[in-house]
Amino acid sequence: MKTSGAFRERLLGAWVEIRENLGRSVLQALGVLLGVASVLGGFSISDSQRRRADEMFVKMGGLDKLNVQPKAAVRDGRPTALQQANLGLRDEDATGGEGLKADAIHGVSRQKFARARVVSAYGDQDRQISGIGGDFIPANGYEVVRGRAFSTSDTDSGAPVVILGTEAAQTFFPKGDALGQTLRIGDVPVTVIGLFEERVFRFREGQHNQFWWRNRIIAVPASLVQRRMNGDAYRRLDRVTFRIPDLGAMGGFAKQLSDLLKANHRLQEDFRLDDVAARIRRRNSQGDVYDIIFLLSGVLALVGGGIVNVNIQMAGLKERVREVGVKMAIGASGREIFKGFMTEALLLTALGSLAGLALGVGFSWIITKSLGIPLYVTPASFLWAYGLAAAFGFLFALYPAWKASRLSPMEALRYE
Amino acid sequence: MSSIIQTQGLTKVYGSNGTAVHALRGIDLTVAKGEFVALIGPSGSGKSTLMAILGCLDLPTEGTYTLDGHQVQGLSGGELARIRNEKVGFVFQSYNLLPKASIARNVELPMLYAGVGRKERRERALALLEKVGIADKADKLPGTLSGGQRQRVAVARALANEPALLLADEPTGALDSKTGAEVLGLFRELHQQGNTLLLVTHDPSIAAQAERQVEIRDGLIALNEGAA
Ligand SMILES: Nc1ncnc2c1ncn2[C@@H]1O[C@H](COP(=O)(O)OP(=O)(O)OP(=O)(O)O)[C@@H](O)[C@H]1O
Ligand SMILES: [Mg+2]
Repeated sequence: MKTSGAFRERLLGAWVEIRENLGRSVLQALGVLLGVASVLGGFSISDSQRRRADEMFVKMGGLDKLNVQPKAAVRDGRPTALQQANLGLRDEDATGGEGLKADAIHGVSRQKFARARVVSAYGDQDRQISGIGGDFIPANGYEVVRGRAFSTSDTDSGAPVVILGTEAAQTFFPKGDALGQTLRIGDVPVTVIGLFEERVFRFREGQHNQFWWRNRIIAVPASLVQRRMNGDAYRRLDRVTFRIPDLGAMGGFAKQLSDLLKANHRLQEDFRLDDVAARIRRRNSQGDVYDIIFLLSGVLALVGGGIVNVNIQMAGLKERVREVGVKMAIGASGREIFKGFMTEALLLTALGSLAGLALGVGFSWIITKSLGIPLYVTPASFLWAYGLAAAFGFLFALYPAWKASRLSPMEALRYE
Repeated sequence: MSSIIQTQGLTKVYGSNGTAVHALRGIDLTVAKGEFVALIGPSGSGKSTLMAILGCLDLPTEGTYTLDGHQVQGLSGGELARIRNEKVGFVFQSYNLLPKASIARNVELPMLYAGVGRKERRERALALLEKVGIADKADKLPGTLSGGQRQRVAVARALANEPALLLADEPTGALDSKTGAEVLGLFRELHQQGNTLLLVTHDPSIAAQAERQVEIRDGLIALNEGAA
């Protein structure tokens, strides 16, 4: 290392040059600025949007779920005897599935729906009834705030008990405490043993509660629906959900489960698997497309800016030929001249991208603010934006700097 | 006495076949250490071309040139830059100061290229400005100085790395006669201190103040008076 502080001097010289030609410098920095702002802004907006969506899914009990639902095996024509003899999705399917990979599965929930007339002293409505079992409550982001959840004996025996969401509680017991009261669902009188906490999620600030429908829940043991509300001797289910936090194990499990269910169902594919995480990944990869678009527009701005820069630099070089000649005459080598021009261009790029980062953050702040979602800027977005600007700044600085360094000192000095 | 400049058969041809200009057509010149030489000749005779070659700004088309013991022909651009930096100091008619750099920085620049440290650079620049009599202008920009003062800065800059050879191409050409005489006085002083000087001029009265006159015409040495 030389101790002459040559780098510092170059930086100082570059700064003087930039300051002395403010108009030209601003013009040159503009391309960088816009490119950086568009990459960072775009990334931040899509990151913020995606993060908000992830928050919503976490609030719904997580993404690590595989849903199994019945599906009509027959599309056209009359069902075959085999198809008709099939029993659909049953408890055995749930327990069988659980047995496949007991260590990977962190919970199984069962659902059996029914529609029924629900009657209390204050209300009389036709409502959807959720028969639930297994780990339904935690797996779906519900929480019992008052009273208790269903016990094993409740679910085993099909006890006539119910847990209400806030809307349901408000509808059927507007006057007061629903806990301990009795409700009639169809012909079955049930006792309110618990109340769910209110579920609230607004994607954007000020929007309506997107989870309002979740507060309408009227939950009873799935076995109660199966035995006393549907008259279904086969105890069929409408949905089985497996929780598998290890997303790597998900694919293998889905395959095994599908084989097992097919065997259980006389080789009829009368069920449908829905890998929630995979669905989210697909949604996220849609976000990736936007990222690529933002990236591309940023790169285009940088390339456009770069080309403009080369032009400005080349025009500026004409004015500076004499200066280069003088420097060469007093001993600057071509390499030194090259470094000087590069330093200038890179300093300009650095300043331009700093301004661009600020503009990008400001821009995405305004957009996310107007969308009503919190702004979320990742370090990766900064790195992308800055890295691209630096790369293109460097690339487009090379030619003018090389040109300048190749001037012959004699010609440069004679230049008028 | 050792020679600073020694050339043999220097030629310079600008352009190619059809439009070729033979600016120099065989210059044999020797300048000893400590000499003060005036180079005279009519316009277009090749004075500036010779200066450029002697100062390693340009290479001759043919011939050999030895500067302070270094063979110049065949050197790379980087090596030439180094020789210009260490061995040669230029003073131009049009000063050629960097307009955006302070006076002190202008003088420091050759030392920066030579790798001299910041502090020493500054000290030496101030000492040189003192020597040429404008120490008080160190932090001014060249644009604020008179022509004579600017030329003094140029002289200080030329002396920065204690060169073996000072080359001046019509250094008084843009100055009025009084300031021109002052700058010339400065050159004579430098000569007395032992510097080797080569000065290009049109003016016979200026040439007369040198201890030796060399005249070129049409790219050839026509008169070589007072050679050592
Ligand atoms: N780069 C060049 N390309 C072509 N011809 C050149 C170039 N430089 C100089 N010449 C020609 O070479 C000849 C010598 O030029 P030079 O500048 O050395 O003359 P000079 O003696 O310094 O003249 P002046 O007294 O007017 O400064 C001239 O005919 C000039 O036109
Ligand atoms: Mg000339």
